[in-house]
Amino acid sequence: MSELTANHFLVLSAALFIIGMMGVLTRRNVLVIFMCVELMFNAVNVSFIGFAWEQNSLVGQTFALFIIAVAAAEAVVGLGIIMALSRRLDTVDIDKVRELRE
Amino acid sequence: MSAEVLVFDILGAVAVLAAAGVVLARKPVHSALSLVVSFVNVAAIYVILRAEFLAAAQIIVYTGAILVLVLFVIMLVHPEDLPEFHGGRPIQRVLALILGLVLLGEVLAAILTRTVVGQPGPWSEQAVQAVGGNVQALGQVLYSGYVLPIQATALLLLVATIGALVLARPDSPRVRRVARDTATISLGHPRGADGANGVELPALPPVAGDRIKPETGERELVMAKSGDDFLDQPVWGERRRS
Repeated sequence: MSELTANHFLVLSAALFIIGMMGVLTRRNVLVIFMCVELMFNAVNVSFIGFAWEQNSLVGQTFALFIIAVAAAEAVVGLGIIMALSRRLDTVDIDKVRELRE
Repeated sequence: MSAEVLVFDILGAVAVLAAAGVVLARKPVHSALSLVVSFVNVAAIYVILRAEFLAAAQIIVYTGAILVLVLFVIMLVHPEDLPEFHGGRPIQRVLALILGLVLLGEVLAAILTRTVVGQPGPWSEQAVQAVGGNVQALGQVLYSGYVLPIQATALLLLVATIGALVLARPDSPRVRRVARDTATISLGHPRGADGANGVELPALPPVAGDRIKPETGERELVMAKSGDDFLDQPVWGERRRS
């Protein structure tokens, strides 16, 4: 086996991101969609840190840190919205949440 | 260096399989547990990438905070509110598969044909060791060039906390009234007998003033014709103290 290069991490990141994307596109449960969004955040973090490792830089790690903070804020608001959905509309199925559409 | 590649392969394979488990699991709880496995493996990959602080932050923030929140929400959402697994919509799945494969091909092509441009940064492994480690080096970068973004992040977290409080606030009285109208169990008058069929119901006798037993705090059974009559009642937890 050869040396470990940044391409390894980029391929892993792409795989994780696309799995998350397909989860967002196919699942109907809002909670699972939320988890898939977290998965995509994580894939982007892997890319950032992989590039930072390749370039001997710490800026990528800084960005990843900000992404983690933003993901935490997003999680708080997203889960609040899911709770409000479950209380007001009695469903967490995105196909049934169409208040604004009709 | 071959051992490093082997460790990376194992960690990456487990992370990808766990991510697939998130998408394919039938129950949301299983999805959440698969997500934990994926996150922990990615954190181990961060250690390979010499990002020890981010590995710790990943485990603390993602698996420690966010996943626990997700599990709490899964427990709080009624099970009958959950949609059935992949009900209908096969065209959606086919389209998602095509889109995913196309995107994967594009990204792989971009990765495999890319060239590295630009100068490498100053933080080689020796430089990081010289300052004392990853945390010290990251702190130097973060607090010298990124002070304003850190303040903005703090503001963002504050706003998100306030937003969560607003979203989690108890329902306004109007919403609560609708919920009570549909949720009140009328013992004396079965639902549907009043109003719709035009059946006139006898008026209820007036209920005495304080309907709370002060000693025990328990509520007595109140006969109400509709949810509106019930609105005079204090809500659980707001006991009258006189």
